[in-house]
Amino acid sequence: MGVTMLKSPDWHLLIVWYFFLGGIAGGAYFTAAIADNFGSSRDKSVFRIGYVLALLLTGLCGILLILDLGTPSRFMNMMMNFKFWDPMSIGAWMLGVFGFFAFVSSALSFVGGERVAPLRRRLSLIGTVSGFFIAAYTGVLLSATALPLWNDARLMGALFLASGASTGMAAISLLLYLSGESAGDGFKKVKRADRYAIMFEILVLAAFLVLLGGAAGPLVSGHLAPLFWGGLVVVGLVVPLLVDLAGFKLPGAVPAALVLVGGFILRYVIVMANA
Amino acid sequence: MARTLAMFTDTSLCIGCRACQVACKQWNELPSEQPEWTGSYQNHSTFTDKTYRLVRFIEKPQANGELSWLLMSDVCKHCAQAGCLDACPTGAIYRTEFGTVNINQDVCNGCRYCVSSCPFGVVSFNHDTGRANKCTFCNDRIHNGLGPACAKTCPTESIQFGFRDELVAKADKRVASLKEMGYKQAQLYGADSKGPLGGLNAFFLLLDSPSTYGLPEKPLLPQRNVLVDSLLSVGSALLVGVGAVIAFRDRGHGGDDA
Repeated sequence: MGVTMLKSPDWHLLIVWYFFLGGIAGGAYFTAAIADNFGSSRDKSVFRIGYVLALLLTGLCGILLILDLGTPSRFMNMMMNFKFWDPMSIGAWMLGVFGFFAFVSSALSFVGGERVAPLRRRLSLIGTVSGFFIAAYTGVLLSATALPLWNDARLMGALFLASGASTGMAAISLLLYLSGESAGDGFKKVKRADRYAIMFEILVLAAFLVLLGGAAGPLVSGHLAPLFWGGLVVVGLVVPLLVDLAGFKLPGAVPAALVLVGGFILRYVIVMANA
Repeated sequence: MARTLAMFTDTSLCIGCRACQVACKQWNELPSEQPEWTGSYQNHSTFTDKTYRLVRFIEKPQANGELSWLLMSDVCKHCAQAGCLDACPTGAIYRTEFGTVNINQDVCNGCRYCVSSCPFGVVSFNHDTGRANKCTFCNDRIHNGLGPACAKTCPTESIQFGFRDELVAKADKRVASLKEMGYKQAQLYGADSKGPLGGLNAFFLLLDSPSTYGLPEKPLLPQRNVLVDSLLSVGSALLVGVGAVIAFRDRGHGGDDA
C-alpha cells in the first residue's frame, strides 16, 4: 500500500571520503594537541605530524566538498549565512576555522622554537574544539535528515567523533612508523591512546546499534552487512585491539592500517545505506 | 506580512484526470519525462525535478472485491515549519510574504541537503541545472493576483486556492458533511496550524489514513534532534579527551622538560 517515499541526497564516494578524511583531520589535530600539552619534548614529532596532517587533509576536504556540489562555482554561497541550527551551515564555517587553527599550529611547530611553545599549546587546545566539531558534525548532519537509519540514530555524531579519534591516531601512528620513528616514545604513546580510542569506539558503536534497534537493519542485516561486520567490526576494530592487547609482534603499520580501513568502511556503509 | 495563502486539495472530488499535472508542467515550462511502467496509472511514481504536481492512484479493493482507487493530487506542502528551508546552508530556500516556500535558482549550489530533509520526499535535484527545485506555488502567478495553475485548471474544484483561514473553515465543513454521508475515515491532513510542522499551507482532505496514501502519519521536522545529538557528541569528545590525556601523561618523575 502506501510507502512514504523519501529522497536520497545522492551523496556517494566524494562525501564518504570527506567524512573519513575530516574525521582523521580532527582526530589527528586533537592527538597533536594532547601530545603538545601533556607529552614531553620527545613527542615533538607526534604533534608536528598531527598538525600538518590536519592542515593538508582540511584543504583536501574543502576540495572534495566543492566537487560534490551540483553547482561547484557557487560554493561561496554557503558563507552568506550562519544558521547555528543547521549542521551544514556551521560545518561550512567550522571547516574554515579549523583550517586556520591547523595552519597556525603547523607554522608554530616549525617556526619560532621554544619561545612560541606556550602560545602554540594554548591555541591548540582552543583549536581542538573546532577539530572535534569537524569530526563529529557530519554525523549530526546525517541525523538531521528525514531518511531512515540516519534520522533514527542519536549517536551518529558521537560515533563519528570516536572514529575520528581512533583513525586520527592511527594515521599519526602510521606516519611515525613510515618516517622511521617507531621505536620512539611518541609512537608508543600514540599507540596507547589509539588503544583507548578503539575501546571507546567499540562501546559507542554497541550503544549506537542498541539505540537504533530495528532501524539498524540496513547496516547489520542488509547487503552492507558483510562490510559492516567483517570490515568495520572485525578487521577495523576487534583485530587491531586484540593484536595490541595480546602483544603480537606485527609490523607497526599493520594495526594502524586496519583501523584506517575500518574507519573508511564505517562512513561508507552509513552513507551508502541511503545512497 | 500578507495574509497566508493556501491550497486545499479535497481528494474526495478528484477524478484522476491529471489536468493539474499538465497545467503545472505547462505553466512552469517543465519537459516531459520518460514514463515508468510500474503497473499503475500513476505517472510519475515520485516527485521529480520535472514533476511538481503528482496525482497518486492508490488501489483499494472494495469489500465486494471490486477494484477502486483513492485519488490524491499531491504537491509540495509549503510547510509552516519546513525541513528543506531549515536545512539550506546558502539561504536559497526562503519563505514569501504569503507563507509559501521557494528555492532561489540563482543562489542554490546543489548540495542536496534539502532533498534529504523533506519529510515528504518532495524536493528534487535537477542534474542538468545542478540545482534543487520543487513546486513554487506558482510564485509569479500569486504575485500578480492569480492562483496556482493546478487550482485554476482543476475541473472538479478538488484543488482550491485562497486564504488559508478561509480554506480551513471550508475544509472543516466539508469533512463534517462527508462523515455524515458515511465516509467515516474522512480527515484533514495539515489543516491544523497547531499540528505537525505548524500546519501545511498545501493541506488535504483524505478519505483514509495518511499512511494509505504514502504520507507520514505524523510528519516531524527532521532537525528536531540536533541539540540532543550535539550534546551526545560533546560527551563523546570529553571521554575521548580524558582517554588521550591519560595515554600521553609523561610517566616518571619530572619528565625531561623541567
